[in-house]
Amino acid sequence: MIVWLLLLAGLGSTPKSHTVEIRGMEFHPAVLTVAVGDTIVWINRDIVPHTATGMRRKWDSGQLQQGDSGRYVPSRVGRVPYTCTLHPTMKGMLIVRKE
Amino acid sequence: MLPIAVTLALTVALQAQTPAPAAAPDLSDPEVAHVAWTANSIDIDMAKFAQTRAHKAAVKQFAQTMITDHTAVNEQAAALAKKLGVTPADNAVSQSLQNDAKQARASLEPLHGAAFERAYIDREVAYHQAVLDAIDKVLVPTTENAELRKLLTDVRPAIATHLEHAKQLRSQLGAPSRTSK
Repeated sequence: MIVWLLLLAGLGSTPKSHTVEIRGMEFHPAVLTVAVGDTIVWINRDIVPHTATGMRRKWDSGQLQQGDSGRYVPSRVGRVPYTCTLHPTMKGMLIVRKE
Repeated sequence: MLPIAVTLALTVALQAQTPAPAAAPDLSDPEVAHVAWTANSIDIDMAKFAQTRAHKAAVKQFAQTMITDHTAVNEQAAALAKKLGVTPADNAVSQSLQNDAKQARASLEPLHGAAFERAYIDREVAYHQAVLDAIDKVLVPTTENAELRKLLTDVRPAIATHLEHAKQLRSQLGAPSRTSK
């Protein structure tokens, strides 16, 4: 039984959580590699509100006030650029891998 | 002409406080707080005006961001002033900023459509550059309270981002007008 559970865990499909801090008008880290099904959490540390928003607004955290967080779970492999709609000069990138 | 006027007005106001060119004006912390509050309020008022005149979605969104961000900064500044027991004190730099804002508003008043959008964004580029310079050369060096100084340095990246945003918009709006720098 234990061996069976270890084997299941070893298949490596357990989703992880990643944190992106928004501070000083930048995403930290600006480029993040994740797996399909992982959760990315953005936390706004700035005084001013921000968003984390995919291109063509396919996904959008909505406005995050200071201390707020928003999340996104990518379902497809690929490069996922995103921005803050309030501050379009802010850029971030998710690199989504199969696992 | 407008952006130059903005920059000059602020520079002159700041230099008028300065006994020697290399020294920062000697503002008290309550005066620094007032200058910061005034600078934010001016940009909020200008953005509200811009929202009634601008047509392009990108310019209206920029104006909305100015309202949102500068309001958030003023709320933080007010909370800090209350915590520190500081009452913002009016001063020559604040008054100069307000006089300059009146002139800028008068210059924008007759403009509409694309001409207005261009002049507004030109003004925002110059204004945010002038505010950045003021933070670096005047406000931070003269501020004694560490928390107030930290608020100023925390706000700096937002001002720099606004400046880049405004420059990006300016390039999207087309060729510079003949009267702008």
